[in-house]
Parts: sequence; structure tokens; C-alpha cells
Amino acid sequence: MTARPLVHKTAMPGLGLSAGITLAMLSIVVLLPIGALLMKGASFGLSNVLEVVGRERVMASLILSFKLALLAALFNLVFGVLLAWVLVRYRFPGKRLLDAAVDLPFALPTAVAGIALTALYAPNGTFGSLAVQLGVKIAYTQAGIFIALVFVGLPFVTRTVQPVIEEIDREVEEASATLGASRLYTLRHVILPMLTPAALTGFALALARAVGEYGSVIFIAGNIPLRTEIAPLLIVIQLEEFNYDAAAAIGIAMLVISFAMLLAINLIQIVSRRKMGHV
Amino acid sequence: MSDTTLPTFRTATEEAPLLRAALIGIAVAGLAVLVFAPLAVVFAEALKDGWLAAVESLGNRDARSAIHLTLLITAIAVPANAAFGIAAAWFITKFDFRGKAFLITLIDLPFSVSPVVAGLCIVLLFGANSALGGWLIAHGWPIVFAIPGIVLATIFVTFPFVARELIPVMIEQGRAEEEAALTLGASGWRTFWTVTLPNIRWALLYGTLLCTARAMGEFGAVAVVSGKIRGQTATMPITIEMLYNEYLSVAAFSMAALLTALALVTLCLKTLLELRHADQLAAIRRH
Repeated sequence: MTARPLVHKTAMPGLGLSAGITLAMLSIVVLLPIGALLMKGASFGLSNVLEVVGRERVMASLILSFKLALLAALFNLVFGVLLAWVLVRYRFPGKRLLDAAVDLPFALPTAVAGIALTALYAPNGTFGSLAVQLGVKIAYTQAGIFIALVFVGLPFVTRTVQPVIEEIDREVEEASATLGASRLYTLRHVILPMLTPAALTGFALALARAVGEYGSVIFIAGNIPLRTEIAPLLIVIQLEEFNYDAAAAIGIAMLVISFAMLLAINLIQIVSRRKMGHV
Repeated sequence: MSDTTLPTFRTATEEAPLLRAALIGIAVAGLAVLVFAPLAVVFAEALKDGWLAAVESLGNRDARSAIHLTLLITAIAVPANAAFGIAAAWFITKFDFRGKAFLITLIDLPFSVSPVVAGLCIVLLFGANSALGGWLIAHGWPIVFAIPGIVLATIFVTFPFVARELIPVMIEQGRAEEEAALTLGASGWRTFWTVTLPNIRWALLYGTLLCTARAMGEFGAVAVVSGKIRGQTATMPITIEMLYNEYLSVAAFSMAALLTALALVTLCLKTLLELRHADQLAAIRRH
């Protein structure tokens, strides 16, 4: 048995050029810098990395970042599926504007989103002053961080679920109705399972984005250590104090945790695809 | 069709009118609070002291230098990413090789790395403390706290944008057209320019558009590598942060409004592309 060749021979030109550009840019821009982070961690030593990550302030910021990212992604999962359904299935005035507006969080720079949300939710802002009357403080608390993370993750679920809803065969729903299912039963047991894999993909993307988010959060967070200080901000603070080792340790912890989460969600997706059949 | 004789007729594949109205209401209210309100507040805050104050704040030296810098960074990072995207999509879709799925995963990697961590990685590789960074600085090529570092950080965070849009489109189109051109004696470049490029141009434009929007607005990664030197390495988003922290609200929101206007132009172009070239872009959404 001969080994499979690395590259199959074809008549297509440009193998060397395209492979060269791809691998060179990938190495210089992505792989070497990430490698430098891992090397820094290795030279600092695993026990030292763990010591930094275990510090109360670092641990608190990591837990905060992941907890709020998870909550925001869950909110976006529910609202995103609802939004996708409304945008595909219903007709109403202003629908096209609404559809285009879903992408705004992708296009709007995070620093702009950050100061805009702060202006809205600060105690003297439009929504913030309403909340104050109800005795709730939003900006400079964890609620403010949650809102910023919901904003940046908003488009992901809607944009992954929308094309799936568009391709649903109406006959399936008709069959369900003919067999006596109520509309809600059909939605719950026929439609929702078909949307699950795409919705989970969107959820994973929103989660990955929210975990590392910096620009839109730091303005509204108030950045109080142990309470509203997110992990990326702590990296920036360590860098400003030239604590490269500590910054690298927190960076490695964030890399590891976000990869672990993505891996877990990919597994869930594979399982749900298998359970629901090919969608 | 007259509805007067059939007062409450609806098909079995529709929700009850009340439920439907409630869902539309939630969607509209949600987007109004989450998207339209922040958008409106940017312009309202910028124009709080009138048009003149807003325009004036954009005219000073630091503001102009920030605008120049952002345009320069975008003008370097976006073509670099477009070239990478085309090369990567060509390599991945026109050849069969081992490890293709792994390569695609690596290209997508920057999506799951925090921008701040991306900036940190670049500082650790090219900063004054590293061997490579020290050597580059000794030879007059500082990367970190200078423009090359900002460019690298921007390319990192926008890395997958163009490749991700092109790969599904080029997979759907297959290789037959290129093979025909080559059989008829066209050179490789001629095949690319006259056969491949016309087939992928809208997807390329679409990816470039998304890349441009992100490149102009990148904050986290640039904040780490730029050093925030006023008039030298402060991009528009960095300048917004500095002005905001100095309580120069009108100036901060004026620059934010300028970036927002650019984002809105991007959105309009994107929506236009989706309407006009739905067939080619459909491949992207299917994958």
C-alpha cells in the first residue's frame, strides 16, 4: 500500500504561488504571534501561569467574562431565532429596514457601540434614567456588560438560522397539521429541531465573540476590580505595567477556555446533527 | 379577494394572528432598543452643541491625523487580506491535499481569539523585549507602537473575512470552467483574470466590504499594539476613547458619528449587493 500523496497532481496552475501566499501570511500574521504567546507561557512555566490565573482578581475577571458571555449568547439564541422567524415568515411594513439593521453590530466599530450604550444606559441617559426611577442601575454594573455583549453578538444566530428557515419545506408543516398537530406543537416538535444545528452554530459564534469582547464593554463596565473587570481589560492593564508574563498567562487561559468551549459546542452540534438527521 | 365573508380564515401553517402580532412586536421592540437607540444616540450626542461644534472638532490636527491613519491602515490591510483570501480560496478549492480541513480551521482561528489576545501575541512576537523585535528595532524597523504593528493587528482580526466568502462560492462553481480555459491554451493568469475573477467578483466585493468595516473600526487589538501616541499611532477608534476619557463628549461622538456614517454606507452597499447578486451570494449562506 502506498501512502496517499500530500497533494494530488492536477492540471491547475498556481499551486506554488497560492500555497506560498496562504501559508506565508497565515504564519506571519496568525501562527507565529500565537506561537510567541505559547512560548512566553512555556518560558514562564506552567506553575507560574497557574499561579497568575489563580489570583483572586484574575479568576474573578475570567469567571465574569465567561459567565456574562454565556448569558448574552443565550439571550441572543432565543431572540435571534425569534427574529429570524419573524424576518422570513411574516410580512409587515419596515421589514427590509429591520433585516438590514440586524447587521449593524457587525459594521459599527466596538468603541462607538461602547460609548453609545454608555450614553444610553448611564444614570442620566435615556434608558438609564428610566431604570434609576425603577431603582435599577445598569451602566457600570454587570447588567451594562450584559447589554454590550448582547449588542455585539446580536447578528450571529439570526444570520445562521435565516437561510435554514427559508429552505424549510412547507409540506412538512402541512403534513404535521393534517395529522392533527396544533400550530404550537408543530413549531415545537417539527420546526425547532430543524433549526437546532444552525442555531447552535450561531450561539457558538456569538459566545466566542462575547468572551473576548473589549471595545464595547470597557466604557459601560465601570471596570471595578473583582466586580465589573473583564479578563481582556486585565491583560491590557498588565501590559501597561510591563508585566508581560502575567499578561501572557491570562491570554493563554483565555485561549484555552475559548477553544475548550468551541470544542464542546462542536461536539454538541455533531450530536444534534446526528439526532435530527441532515439539515 | 374579499375578506368580508371569511372573517377569521387562516391556513394550518400560520400562527394565530395574536401570536404573530406579539412576535413581530417583540422583534421590532428588541431591535429598536438594541440597535436603533444606540445608533440615534451617537448622532444626537455629536450634534448636542450644533453642527458647527461637531464639524470643528473633526478639523483639528489630531483628529485629522487619526482619520488619515485609519484610512492608511485600511488601505493596506484590506488589499492584503483580499490577496490572501483569493490565494487561500484558490489553493483550497482548486487542489486536493491532505490537511485541508485543518487549514480551514487555522484560517478561521482569529474569529475565536479575543482582539486583545491578538494584540498581546503581536506584542510578544515583535515587541522590544523579544529577540525578533529587538533585532528589527536595531535595524530601524519598529513594529510595535508603530504603524506596521497596527497593520498586522488589523490583518489578524480581519483575517478570515475574504477567504470565508470566496471558498463556498468557488466550491460551488467547481473547476470545469478553468479546466476548459486551460485546455484551450489560456495561461494560468489569463484563466484567473477572465474566467475565475468574473465568477467570484461579487463575493469578493462582499468579503472586502465586511473586511473594510471591521478594519476601520478595530479597537481592542489596535489599542494593545499602537501605544496610543497622539498624532502618530492613534487611529479613529483610539482617538474616540481618548476624547471620551477626557470628557470631550462632543468631539468623541463627532468622530464616532463619522465612523458610524461609514458603517451605514457599508451596510447600504452590502444590502444592495445582497439584492442584486443574490444568486452568487446564496452559496455563502448555504455553507
